[in-house]
Amino acid sequence: MYDFKYQLANSQDDAVSAQSSAEDGSFLAGGMTLIPTLKQRLAQPSDLVDLSGISDLIGVSAEGDSVTIGSMTTHAEVASSEIVSSKIPALAALAGNIGDPQVRNRGTIGGSIANNDPAADYPAACVALNATIITNNRKIPADNFFTGLFETALEDGELITAVTFPIPDKAAYAKFPNPASRYAIVGVMVAHTGGETRAAVTGASDSGVFRSSEIENALGDNLDSSAAKAVSISADGLNNDIHASSEYRAHLVSIMASRAATAAG
Amino acid sequence: MNDANNKWIGKRTIRPDGADKVTGQATFGADTTMPGMIWGKVLRSPHAHANIRSIDTSKAESLPGVKAVITSADVTNYSPEKSVILGIQDMRWMTRNVMAREKALFHGHPVAAVAATSQKIADQACKLIEVDYEVLPWVVEIDDAIKSDAPILHEFIEFEGKPSNIAGTLEHKKGDVQTGFEEADVIVERSFTTRPVHQGYIEPHACLVSVSADGRATIWSSSQGQFMVRAMTSMLTDIPQSSIRAIPAEIGGGFGGKTIVYLEPLATILSKKSGRPVKMVMSREEVMRASGPTSGSKSTVKMGIKKDGSIVAAQGTYYLQAGALPGSPIRGAVGCAFAPYDIPNVHALGYDVVSNRSKVAAYRAPGAPIGAFAVECVIDEISEAIGMDPLEVRLKNAAKEGTQAAHGPVYPRIGYYETVEAALSHPHREIPLGKFQGRGVASGFWFNAGGESSSQVNITEDGNVVVTTGHPDIGGSRASIANITAELLGIDYKRVSVLIGDTATIGYSNLTGGSRVLFASGMAVTDSTEKVIVSLKERAAKIWDIDPEAVDWEDGYARPAGANAGMFDPLSLEELAERATETGGPIGAGSQLNTAGAEGGFATHMCDVEVDIDLGIVRIIRYTSFQDVGRAVHPSYVEGQLQGGAAQGIGWALNEEYIYDSEGRVDNPGFLDYRMPVCSDLPMLDTVMIEVPNPKHPQGVRGVGEVPLVPPLAAIRNAIYDALGIRFYGLPMSPPVVLEALEQGEAAE
Ligand SMILES: Cc1cc2nc3c(=O)[nH]c(=O)nc-3n(C[C@H](O)[C@H](O)[C@H](O)COP(=O)(O)OP(=O)(O)OC[C@H]3O[C@@H](n4cnc5c(N)ncnc54)[C@H](O)[C@@H]3O)c2cc1C
Repeated sequence: MYDFKYQLANSQDDAVSAQSSAEDGSFLAGGMTLIPTLKQRLAQPSDLVDLSGISDLIGVSAEGDSVTIGSMTTHAEVASSEIVSSKIPALAALAGNIGDPQVRNRGTIGGSIANNDPAADYPAACVALNATIITNNRKIPADNFFTGLFETALEDGELITAVTFPIPDKAAYAKFPNPASRYAIVGVMVAHTGGETRAAVTGASDSGVFRSSEIENALGDNLDSSAAKAVSISADGLNNDIHASSEYRAHLVSIMASRAATAAG
Repeated sequence: MNDANNKWIGKRTIRPDGADKVTGQATFGADTTMPGMIWGKVLRSPHAHANIRSIDTSKAESLPGVKAVITSADVTNYSPEKSVILGIQDMRWMTRNVMAREKALFHGHPVAAVAATSQKIADQACKLIEVDYEVLPWVVEIDDAIKSDAPILHEFIEFEGKPSNIAGTLEHKKGDVQTGFEEADVIVERSFTTRPVHQGYIEPHACLVSVSADGRATIWSSSQGQFMVRAMTSMLTDIPQSSIRAIPAEIGGGFGGKTIVYLEPLATILSKKSGRPVKMVMSREEVMRASGPTSGSKSTVKMGIKKDGSIVAAQGTYYLQAGALPGSPIRGAVGCAFAPYDIPNVHALGYDVVSNRSKVAAYRAPGAPIGAFAVECVIDEISEAIGMDPLEVRLKNAAKEGTQAAHGPVYPRIGYYETVEAALSHPHREIPLGKFQGRGVASGFWFNAGGESSSQVNITEDGNVVVTTGHPDIGGSRASIANITAELLGIDYKRVSVLIGDTATIGYSNLTGGSRVLFASGMAVTDSTEKVIVSLKERAAKIWDIDPEAVDWEDGYARPAGANAGMFDPLSLEELAERATETGGPIGAGSQLNTAGAEGGFATHMCDVEVDIDLGIVRIIRYTSFQDVGRAVHPSYVEGQLQGGAAQGIGWALNEEYIYDSEGRVDNPGFLDYRMPVCSDLPMLDTVMIEVPNPKHPQGVRGVGEVPLVPPLAAIRNAIYDALGIRFYGLPMSPPVVLEALEQGEAAE
């Protein structure tokens, strides 16, 4: 770890201005990704602006046909939230299967989304549920938010304040966890919301979450799981690493999609 | 011995180290600090194989804050030509393992070390060391290493008259396999591979060493033997053992991987050079790249059986990876492979193969899981071939008292047969299996060990007891020792406190390894406690003015032995302690024993799996271990050993493996990529403790710690066969591998 300056922000404005006046400032959420990155000296921010003191970034609320989750809400809080469990049980279940208890009690939805790890779970939920990412100065549809490997539409210093999820008619997430890290080797979120079926795949591609039109077409309005299982996904462009070949991942995409569809009912 | 009237032996007492560990108070290897302490760091080879032409440390030495820089020139040299044995290690290899000498032999091999006032400066100093390498071709897999044109690691190692990567062989023969196979109705011969896996202890290697101005060294470190640390450090630094005090820290797991030193000699030399206490702590990545693991292997096993189920001949050939320096556990592989069975004709042969990987370290029953994997898989196949239940085949061929084992001994009373009987009649066996579920069984053996152990039992002035032994407590041995002492003295367990002494405060005690600790220290502590009881009786006799023979010791009291001895009120331990000065001074006794009679341990495991055939995932849904534990002095910690071994075996069988990249580097050197199972991957691991007391031990103890890792690999593989009809011949049986086999099976149909 290199030296950095630590600042505890009291408000959203405070956080944004502290970050922007720093030479190379980083927001610090749960630190589950950022701190190991610093320890390995893969990043050298001049300042860490800690968001944990900003109370209006934490919490879950339901309004009309959507659920909004503050960016500093931890995975454990989402998993155990009564609102999320009743309105979007698939999302609560997804959060409850991230990493391990330590990670779930520190890691946040904002941190996870801002980081956009290609094997992270939340990006699949955001895309499949057609969520909106709310920042300190705009609203970004999930479809435009996740732009590539660890890349997002966020500008330097832009703060995610919350994520709004439309409540789906049906949704479920199925994940094949990496036996070591528990990140997704492949995870598929399937959702049917207001007449639209979406299937978002994480873990499979090096460039991060993507929608699979083949799977979506196969699923149709009824979320036909056997049709999804029969889809043959091309291994081209899929991730190939020590845990799984691109062929194996391709196979997992249709199987996990089919299982998600079954679970969504 | 198995007396239901026991007050403490066999009871689940609270472990003395429990509160400290649960509350974070326990002091592990990295927890000790000292005034003036500085930080040591190792510079490691970036190449898998390279000659070291020269090392220039001058720039590092002149960096402000750097207090010492060392290379192999500072470590005691032992010529590669002549072996210098210490325990089961050879110091000519150990010196080359702690610091590369002529060559860097694996990626991550230490080539130099520095000590500086901060970790940051130590890091910078490492970068300033200039090593001139001549990069050499390298080899990591067995098949490549034994090819005739393979890059040779050590020119001085010869096999069949020419330089070779085969560093040694070991052979056991009994009867004549040729004739044996002729008698067989069915012969099955199969080849197997296993991958290297790490012990996976949570606590990385760590030490703090302070060498005083007069050359005396104090070492705080986490290891499986403070006396091993002292001896090895002495031999690698030329400081006499009498000037080294090695203090054992609490240990956060070892599983065999901490039976050798990595950091202690380097920190000692750095401390001596700098005049400052030096602390060294490995990162997880260093642990994964440069310590442990156990061998990867390839093997071929051939077994012949008659229609009536008698196994008539067995032959096994094993190649085990040693890592970069000789010394793979071929003894465990070839010695344990056939040990559970009474087979008239046996031939077992092992090859020790070096390659450009980190030197292997002991891992629970070193070599035995590899030996058993191949044999127990083949037994499953020959049983099927003759249409007999695999447990019945094992029962029929079970080694018993009087059986001559291929590795030498004639067994005394052993409990292998009982483990198979218990498995045959256990309700687990009756549970119906569903689709894609299967059940497998396998057995295993481990030698167990005795050897040196010292203890001191002292009665405090207030009539309580302090016991000191010399073995680091990995598996709950302090609790077991307290149970034994309390039982013998007839006092409350809470009045006994058990400590692990350092090398200056207790006599020589061999490693915590070989499943020996409770066997050996139980004997030493029993001996000391019995001496104390003799002394207590003498003191009571003196007070009563009667013959010591006329005094009994019972329930913590000295009592006159019957009416003839006289009518005296019993004297309690407290009263005798209070009157110690007038009756002869301090009460206590020590023992220093070389224990013998640690008889072998056997287990049979039964495992149910369910295969997710779309994904290739194998889930363990039920697991029961049946083990002859001799005597469960503390059942919870015996069960813990059985469960831990099964869990590690499940990891080894299903997911764990060292993966190397195209440059000869470990590609998964951390827990985000190295696939160890966690609680949520496992069902409840059930245990059945069978107590066939070891007749050669005062409490009937047999070692229990290592056997549990021997059967799981084959039990799981045999269960997968039962579920899918597919036989695997290599590990790990990870999801992509299983899925591919399923797809091939489908294609073949
Ligand atoms: C062992 C382990 C296992 C894991 N397993 C999984 C898993 O199974 N699935 C999964 O999805 N994830 C997994 N994770 C990742 C985990 O979910 C992390 O918590 C998450 O990726 C980052 O969240 P954080 O709150 O810790 O963010 P931090 O590490 O604090 O920050 C991450 C990045 O996001 C930025 N950031 C944080 N908050 C904001 C914000 N509000 N606005 C803008 N930028 C922000 C930071 O500046 C930083 O660049 C795992 C992590 C570990 C260590």
